[in-house]
Amino acid sequence: MHTLDHAVVQFIVGFGLFVVGFYVLINGYYLCIHVLALLELRDDVRESRWDPPFRRFASPFYPGIGIVVPAYNEAATVVESVQSLLALNYPEVEIVVVNDGSTDETLERLVENFDLEAVEAEVPIDVPAEEIHDVYRSTIYEELLVVDKDNGGKSDALNAGVWLTDMPLFCAVDSDTVIDRDALLELVGPFLERPETAVASGGVIRVANECSIEDGIVKSVTLPKTGLPGLQVMEYLRAFYSGRLGLNRIKGLILISGAFGLFRTDVVREIGGYRQDTITEDFDIVVRLHRHLMDEGRAYTVDFVPEPVAWTEVPSTRRVLGRQRRRWYRGMVETVVTNRRMLFNPTYGRVGTVVMPLFVAAETIGPLVEGIGYLVLPLAWYFGFLDVEFVLIFFLLTTGFGVFLSWFGVFSEVWSFNRYDSPSQIVRLLWYGVLENLGYRQWKTLVAWQGLLEYLKGVDTWGAMERAGFGTEEE
Amino acid sequence: MTEIVSAFGYSVSLTVVLIVAALVIGLALAVMFWLTVGLSIYRSIEDTRRARVRDELQEQLLEGTFDPDFDWETWVAGLSGVERDVVESLLDEYLRELDGQNVERLRELGDALGIADRSKRRLERGGEYERLYALTWLTLLERPENLHAAEFSPRTQRERAAVARLRYESNDFENPREGISLLLEGARSQFTVFGQDTLYRIGTEDPEALLDVAERNYATWPEPLLVQVLVVCRHLAAGVTTEDLSWLTAALEADNEAVREAAALALGNVGWRKDVRSDLFLDRLVADPSPRVRGAIYRMLARWSDQQALDTLLRALENEFDPRTRLLGTEALGSQRDQLPEERATALGDAWTWSHEHAKYDRTARNPGGVRG
Repeated sequence: MHTLDHAVVQFIVGFGLFVVGFYVLINGYYLCIHVLALLELRDDVRESRWDPPFRRFASPFYPGIGIVVPAYNEAATVVESVQSLLALNYPEVEIVVVNDGSTDETLERLVENFDLEAVEAEVPIDVPAEEIHDVYRSTIYEELLVVDKDNGGKSDALNAGVWLTDMPLFCAVDSDTVIDRDALLELVGPFLERPETAVASGGVIRVANECSIEDGIVKSVTLPKTGLPGLQVMEYLRAFYSGRLGLNRIKGLILISGAFGLFRTDVVREIGGYRQDTITEDFDIVVRLHRHLMDEGRAYTVDFVPEPVAWTEVPSTRRVLGRQRRRWYRGMVETVVTNRRMLFNPTYGRVGTVVMPLFVAAETIGPLVEGIGYLVLPLAWYFGFLDVEFVLIFFLLTTGFGVFLSWFGVFSEVWSFNRYDSPSQIVRLLWYGVLENLGYRQWKTLVAWQGLLEYLKGVDTWGAMERAGFGTEEE
Repeated sequence: MTEIVSAFGYSVSLTVVLIVAALVIGLALAVMFWLTVGLSIYRSIEDTRRARVRDELQEQLLEGTFDPDFDWETWVAGLSGVERDVVESLLDEYLRELDGQNVERLRELGDALGIADRSKRRLERGGEYERLYALTWLTLLERPENLHAAEFSPRTQRERAAVARLRYESNDFENPREGISLLLEGARSQFTVFGQDTLYRIGTEDPEALLDVAERNYATWPEPLLVQVLVVCRHLAAGVTTEDLSWLTAALEADNEAVREAAALALGNVGWRKDVRSDLFLDRLVADPSPRVRGAIYRMLARWSDQQALDTLLRALENEFDPRTRLLGTEALGSQRDQLPEERATALGDAWTWSHEHAKYDRTARNPGGVRG
């Protein structure tokens, strides 16, 4: 018994030391990323303020963009989404809606509203997707193409669109995402600056809950008043905005949101398109692009552009959010495991030696370690060697630093594009930065553990996203 | 908590370490909070002040634009700092959108605001972005004299493009060749789309000059710049009379497939003369190992559409093993569909029927009231 006690004590002490070291490493990484984000933002703001004196729409040098929209049981919103995409400001677009075996009236709504007719000819190329029943063309919109196929999941639907678009670039868009009118003109920037090397660029995803949206345009930006979506605004600002800006600074962007990313069509076809057996296809595709292009020794860039914005509705209940986050966690683990050869591998440059290992430590292992920490504390207390004073101070320090990083993200937002333009909203956002440490963060560690268990059990479901729908001015 | 922490020969109580860390983080939090809130309040006040005066200023600005007797100098003298900022942003917006006589009145407003003189100073003393903002203002105001008066020469490719654009928009070049030379002679890196568009605008006025400058300089350019110039050539008006297009045909032999592809598309546009075509080994070109390049060659042949080109293209498409490249070729053939014997078109299989049907839908959508076919 004495030996067991000793072993437990040794474990707890060792774990405590590990946690302190791990905390210093991860937070040092986050601090670096946020400082780099500020430098990147400074350059981006200066660049965005320079509007060269020429008419973009009259220029023949903007590459065509195929907007690929996978749609599964989206009858309620698909017509409005397509109308909103048809109204985007960009010289040359092709909208490819892929009806992924919907069981509702998604296809019928499209046929009826856009005057679609089925093309009689057989598709003359091999498309790596489930069987395509028909390809439809609109007799009123030259740029609209609708593909009707068997259900195969989001990746499968994206592949159908990627193979059938004629455009040199394609933009993967979720059908429930609202894109700013000029967003494509901004997102294409890296491809105009470096046409030979740019392979992908991602824009900012922002929370649309409680924003008023009319005819596919965000009319006014409002910070959600309820806790859960509000906390996610804070998270999106820190991780999807500041975090990606920082990674962009060191040419190490490894994730572009599936809801809004632009890619070179031929390069994505070259790597076989999206993997059907993954649930976070957006993360997987970017990591595979890095891997493939570095294996081939080709010069390339993957960029984050902070100004173009796509708006998406985030879960407003803990049940749906938990399901979404478990899926994200499962997908992250799966992608990391699949591409483990890249970790600490100098062949993959900065991405392999610095970015991926730190990403894995911070995002994959971090929540698990934190979760164990919450279990070890009562154990240490039980064995009578918990230094309550130290634990409290350590908790306050880690929380304080976490809040500092969150506030850094808010500061970057205010300093740059300032979409939440009322000071009262900013104060509320800062409050969310404090609040997320009191319960929400701990709950996310539990979700991470659940996600890991689901991964180990081989769960591969998506789970349905329940949406309340976007608000309008009248509402 | 009485442990001692030792490092680099120093020993400090853990309590002291934690207190110092707490103080540092607390201070950082306080600074970040007040900085963020303060900045937000400042920006909100600025936005409110600007929004409050914008409508009225817009009205006065339009009134002044359409009234030749309106005295800009007196009006500007009565504006506050915020109002001047708002007027400058409105001026920027209108100068980009409006054409004709009104623009000259707006340029006079720009002079009254002292923008051209300020831009000259920015050119001499500012950083790269300051210089780019200055060149943009001078372009909108068409004031090349301030550029000439400044002690400034472009240091980056973007500045070079901005200077060329300013002089082009202001009709300040003696001839287009001068502008093309400014952009391309000695260029060592690629342009942004703005520079490429500027080259295109100037090149359109004298395609022969562009081809001539390219012929003399192309060997010194990096490949991305060469590709950009070739892409510009693809969009030039067809029918150039330049004798020597050997640099274009030489680009078809480049190792880089992007260069070969761009060269083929450029030749599709400017290589209309029989002697240029007869110099090319068409059969060798359609056997290029890169599907991307073959697709471009097919489009080049379809664009020429003489009997020899069409024969070569049809022969190549019948043997094309890559379905997507074959599709590209049949799509390119679309405009010549009436010239093709039916049996040869049918031999192209699904690719032909697919592209043929899509071409019909394109025409229907473009002309919804018309008859399909």
